[in-house]
Amino acid sequence: MRWLGIALVFVAAATMIAGVADLPVHGTPDAPIHRHVGARYLEHGVAETGMRNMVTAVLLVYRGFDTFLEVVVIFTALVAVLALPRGAGKAGPARVVSPSGSTAAATSDADAVGPQQADVPVSPVVFFVVRLLAPFIAIFALASLYRGHITPGGGFQSAAIFGALFIALALVFGRERAARLVPVPARVWLQALGPVLFALVAFVGWCLTGAFLGYPADAAAHAVREAMVVTLEVGIAVGGAVILAQLFMAMEG
Amino acid sequence: MSDVFDAVMLLLLIAIAVTVGRAKDLLAAVVKFALYGLVLCLVWQHRGAPDVAITEAAVGAGVTSVLFLLTIAKTTRAEKS
Repeated sequence: MRWLGIALVFVAAATMIAGVADLPVHGTPDAPIHRHVGARYLEHGVAETGMRNMVTAVLLVYRGFDTFLEVVVIFTALVAVLALPRGAGKAGPARVVSPSGSTAAATSDADAVGPQQADVPVSPVVFFVVRLLAPFIAIFALASLYRGHITPGGGFQSAAIFGALFIALALVFGRERAARLVPVPARVWLQALGPVLFALVAFVGWCLTGAFLGYPADAAAHAVREAMVVTLEVGIAVGGAVILAQLFMAMEG
Repeated sequence: MSDVFDAVMLLLLIAIAVTVGRAKDLLAAVVKFALYGLVLCLVWQHRGAPDVAITEAAVGAGVTSVLFLLTIAKTTRAEKS
């Protein structure tokens, strides 16, 4: 069995190496990927979308429908996690990992949810560093959202940074205090903000151009295009961040 | 120089991946996996994909590691062999 596994790994590796060896050299101008629609996007993208970051232009304009479904997939993942019964992982004796490396048996009391915080005090170094960095991380996430159509970044990146920031704060300040950042009634709507705003923008585009998720193409409608893109970015960023935070809280609770 | 950097980073990735697979201590495996995410983030950045690099650093090295740690805290730390 062990040798079969090793043989399988080698076969898979050989297949992948053969596949990679077949790829054109990185940056070759006449590689297939540059001769398809990519060349057209690069040539007309800035003029057509008004976005200098081509990644965002492709994500939100040229391949907007794919991104719509991607946002729906992330939302569906959260729904699946929330649908799991709470406390499903508590069947065995729960063990808490302490920073010193020893594992201690947690209290078997079912009401003592989240003994991780109570049993393991947060190191002052971690506490100080998280408190010091938190505002800068938040500003970076906001800048990544606000300037996502010009510089690297955008809604998904902003969502990832905001979500990571929330988890860092929750680990240091405790789950209850972090959960108060997003109250429960707001959470219900914010976690669905990505799909909701995407559907809204798609409907607006439909009314304006007759195509689902269509963008008005004339130069005069530049402000409308920009408003649609910013709405999508906000939906992706806020919705994604709340989904990451919810995933964390669902697993910890 | 550019290719040397990539080669070193990719070899490092392979080495880290092997140690993650061989680790019996799951906590150590998670920490090594976070390191894998960070090195991969450098590779993305170096290959001219800063958008992917930002996401990799936040999700690959940050969020997934915390979710794995939570799972270990709820189950056991040592792998049963």
